[in-house]
Formats: sequence, structure tokens, C-alpha cells
Amino acid sequence: MHFVTGGSFNGKSKWVKEYYQLKDSNHLWISFYEKEQVLVNPVLVEDPMVILEGIEVWIKDLAAQYEVSQAREKWRLFLSSWLEWENKDGNRKVILIGTDISKGIVPMHAEERKWRDMTGWAYQDIARTADRVELIWYGISQKIK
Amino acid sequence: MAESSLIFISGGVRSGKSSFAEKLAADYAQEIDGQLHYIAAGQSSDPEMEERIRRHQNDRLESGLNWTTWEQPVELTKLRHTFQSKDIVLLDCLTTLLNNEFFSQDEMWKSPDFQKQVMASIMEGIEQIAQKCHHFIIVSNEVVYEPLGDRELVYIYGKMLAQLHRNIVAKAYQAFLVEAGIPLLMKGIERA
Repeated sequence: MHFVTGGSFNGKSKWVKEYYQLKDSNHLWISFYEKEQVLVNPVLVEDPMVILEGIEVWIKDLAAQYEVSQAREKWRLFLSSWLEWENKDGNRKVILIGTDISKGIVPMHAEERKWRDMTGWAYQDIARTADRVELIWYGISQKIK
Repeated sequence: MAESSLIFISGGVRSGKSSFAEKLAADYAQEIDGQLHYIAAGQSSDPEMEERIRRHQNDRLESGLNWTTWEQPVELTKLRHTFQSKDIVLLDCLTTLLNNEFFSQDEMWKSPDFQKQVMASIMEGIEQIAQKCHHFIIVSNEVVYEPLGDRELVYIYGKMLAQLHRNIVAKAYQAFLVEAGIPLLMKGIERA
């Protein structure tokens, strides 16, 4: 599992595409930025590589639908289902891309604070689980784990 | 451009990025016996901004170094013939310049064509200046670390600024992120 994070529009997806040479490899790109994204069951995935882009948007949906502990539970199930999928075959790889939304001023609205908090926790979960973490700063990558 | 003369410096508010940039410029100027130039993009729109500009002017005055200031709140390309090979040029800061261009024509910022044109014009100015001078140091601000989501203006502005940063970092031979006064070298190699 590989986690790629950094500020908005810093070139995270571009970095992933280039680093993994996605043009020439079989992969499934799931973007939560696209509306009406249906959640894919890992069991049904046949490609060896899966990219989950826009983790913060998926967290936003969870935060809007559930109270914190339930949302956290749903999130953990999501993360572990992908980890399990990856572990079943040595050739499999999951790459999660999440935008850093943690460094602005504290939002006025409670639901925005909840979203931001949950995203931070989720990123900590991913970073703990992942064997590699990359921080992207205007196209420059830094391996932080 | 044989070798890039461009240096990009970014950081949060009051991170010490301007002081670091000015010191870097001064070091280069001393090394090559060059001339220091300062491109000021700020327009004093309120007393606080005036005070901020005055503070920066004072800092440069008290440094004992001979800075030549160029007031250029918009249209960077106008300075394309201004500099020469022994000039060290500092632009502080890019966000102000983008602000001025962005809001120069009422509601135009909503138009994708206008956005492209603003970005292209800023990049053109940067490249023209970088080609002429010895070193061109650009200071900017870190702003895109919160949800840009629902507010169209913030979203577009943040996207444009981040894209400018990416373009500049790609062309720069050094890029620094300044944290609490400490410059972190993100691209390029440390000078001996």
C-alpha cells in the first residue's frame, strides 16, 4: 500500500501516473472527485493495481452520513478490505491519494471541522498501514515513509 | 536559458521567507559584485497593507544594501528589458501579483480564457526576466492546505496559484520551503 499526499493541485495524481507508468500498465483508477462514484468491491477487481484518488471526498461523504465512531468504523473496514485484497497476491498494489486539507484556519461549521478531523485520522490510519508514503510539493516528491 | 537562474521560495505567513530571500539575493550580489533589484507587487489598499509595505521597505533600507525598487503590481512582462546579466532580481510576492491580475477586471476571473491568459502572462514575464538577469528569486505563499471546495473564487484562485508554483518549480534550479525561519531545500543542490 502506497499513500500519496500533499496540497490541492500539487501534482499528486500526475506523480502517481508517471512513477507507476500507468500508461503502460493495467490498473483501475477510482476517483472520488467524480460524482456518482459507486464504491467498488475489491473482490471484483481484476487489475493488479488500484488507485483510489480523492480519499478526502470519500471521508466527507462518510462524515456527512454517520456519527464519528460509526464513520470511523466504516472507514477502517474500507481500508482493511483493500489491504486484504492487496495481501492476497504479491503482484497487487493499492495506491491511495489524499489531499492535505489540514492546515487552514479552524472551520466555522461543525460539520466541516468533523470532516477535517476525520480526514486527518484517516490519513494517519493509511500512513500506519502503508509501507510507503510520499509527500508531493508542487511536483517534487519526498518519501516520508 | 543555458542554466536556470530561477529560485523559488515559498512558506506560510510570517515564516521568514522574505528575510531568507533577501539574504540569498544579497549573498549572490556580493559574490558577483552585482546589483540588487526588488520587484514590489504590493498596492496599498488599506493602512495595514501600507504598514506592511513600509516594514519591508525599511528592512531593505536598513540592510545597508543598495536595492533598486520596481513597482509592478501587474504586467510583469513590462520589465522584460529592464535587467542585465549582473542583476539579482527578487519578486515578493507572487500571490500579490496574482491577486492584482486576478481582480484587475471585475468578474473576468470567472472566465477560463482569462485565467489562462493571466497564468501565461505571468509565466512569460518570469521567463523573460529569468533569461536576462543573473538570478531571479521568486517568493510566494503557501495557501492551498484547506478545503477549496465550495467557494468558486477561492477554488479558482488556489488552483491557479498552485499551477503557477508547479510551473515555476519545474523551471527553477532551486526551490525552498521555509518553515519557521528554516529554509528546506526541496529541489536542487545546496551551494558550497
